Amino acid sequence: MSPQRVSRVQVLVVMLGLIVLQFYLRPRLGNARVSPDFLLIALMLFAMRSGPGAGAVAGFLVGLIEDALTPARFGAGALAHTLVGYFAAWGRSVFFADNALVNAAFVAAGLWFRDLIVLVISGSEHPQLLTELTIYSPLQALTTAGFALLILITFRSWFSIRLDA
Amino acid sequence: MSSISDRRYTRRDTALFVLCLGLSIVGLFSPLSWTYGLADTLRRTALAPLVWLQTRAEEGRTSRMRFRRVTAQRDSAAYLAQFLPSLRAENERLRQLLKLSRRLSTGYVSAEVLHQPHATDGRTLLLSAGARQGVAPFNPVVAPEGLIGVVLSVSPQSSVAMSWAHPEFRVSAFTVGGNALGVVAPSAEGRNAEGLLELRGVPYRDSVPLGTLVLSSGLGGVFPKGIPVGTVTGTLREEAGWERVYRLRPAANPGSAAHVLILVSTRSFDLASAFPSDSQLEAMRLDSIARAERAESLAQAARAARAARRDSIQRTSPMLGGAPAVATPPRDSAQ
Repeated sequence: MSPQRVSRVQVLVVMLGLIVLQFYLRPRLGNARVSPDFLLIALMLFAMRSGPGAGAVAGFLVGLIEDALTPARFGAGALAHTLVGYFAAWGRSVFFADNALVNAAFVAAGLWFRDLIVLVISGSEHPQLLTELTIYSPLQALTTAGFALLILITFRSWFSIRLDA
Repeated sequence: MSSISDRRYTRRDTALFVLCLGLSIVGLFSPLSWTYGLADTLRRTALAPLVWLQTRAEEGRTSRMRFRRVTAQRDSAAYLAQFLPSLRAENERLRQLLKLSRRLSTGYVSAEVLHQPHATDGRTLLLSAGARQGVAPFNPVVAPEGLIGVVLSVSPQSSVAMSWAHPEFRVSAFTVGGNALGVVAPSAEGRNAEGLLELRGVPYRDSVPLGTLVLSSGLGGVFPKGIPVGTVTGTLREEAGWERVYRLRPAANPGSAAHVLILVSTRSFDLASAFPSDSQLEAMRLDSIARAERAESLAQAARAARAARRDSIQRTSPMLGGAPAVATPPRDSAQ
């Protein structure tokens, strides 16, 4: 097996691990609105290492999963994650460096942007929008970015590839 | 050559992006029945292993919490048992009083709430019980504190409930004194409005005091009568002298609920007695203590009576060394 292929398999293993963590570990962590969003980490890490089209498709699939599990406004999650996946891939290819901290900050920004879109499309009222965007989303962005940083540091060599190369 | 390849690559990316956006927008504007059907199908097929995994995790977490609570209760009861047996018994009685499931006179299905890390989590809740457990659309969902919401859609192993925080949620309600009837809806006013409800449509002449408990009225045929919805915390607004809108503090919080009960076949029941208020609980506690004291004094009296009878038998039985019960005539009078 070529080294490139091995790296891809390794990245996929981490993605699968994140999916398992999302559904098995996160419910045990307490408050769902503050605990890390492992699916979003998987999406961002994948999108930042692939092309914008693949990022958009991955975002759409992640959004579809979230819409199926929380159908408050079906399609809102798919739309938000598609945009996040696309812009993560596009932004990474244009101006982001291979720095773990920058990557983690990008994950936090992606989560906040995702919440903004979901809340606006779901027709949230002003006070709730403000509370979510100024309290819960930044807190969740912090925990998610922290965990993303941990993953990037732990699997530094595995994530030093471009999946679309 | 490479520029042509890059352009094709970019076009493909753009096409995929536009396709995903288009599908998302189609999902957004599709009829609710389609989207709920699609979500149900996804949960039943592709997402079934993930839902199963999360259900096990939630069960594990709640079981651990319940185990800790029971252990703590057992430890404190054991501690009290060393010194105060009557308090331990009272603790047990109160614990039984607080068990909502035993108080409910109707059928119910218990379910874990599978919370999602979404900004809209709390408006709709994914529950770990479905059609196989007897859940059907429009079944009310309650927590021990009060109303959580209503089941929207059901798949064999899971269901989706609309909580009271959903913008489209409505429940017909009345005040516990019965002097005001209205419709409760999520409030969009005030700070942190996600956590508040409002009681609308109360006639201007009917004033509701602060702290009044608001219960579901049973009108509409979805929610049974008597489920606590919230407590009045103030007046939100007055509509030109003909209607008052009151602010309510919700009885139960869907965002933090980990375990709920889904009521099945409840339409004709009055559930008010299943949700006693704090004052009612206090009254029940005092009543329970009074009954225990009465029983204890009766038992004491019975014990005293038994002892007196035993003593009397001992005194009057010759075989036991006592004097005979029949009185003998005095010797002087016989002579």
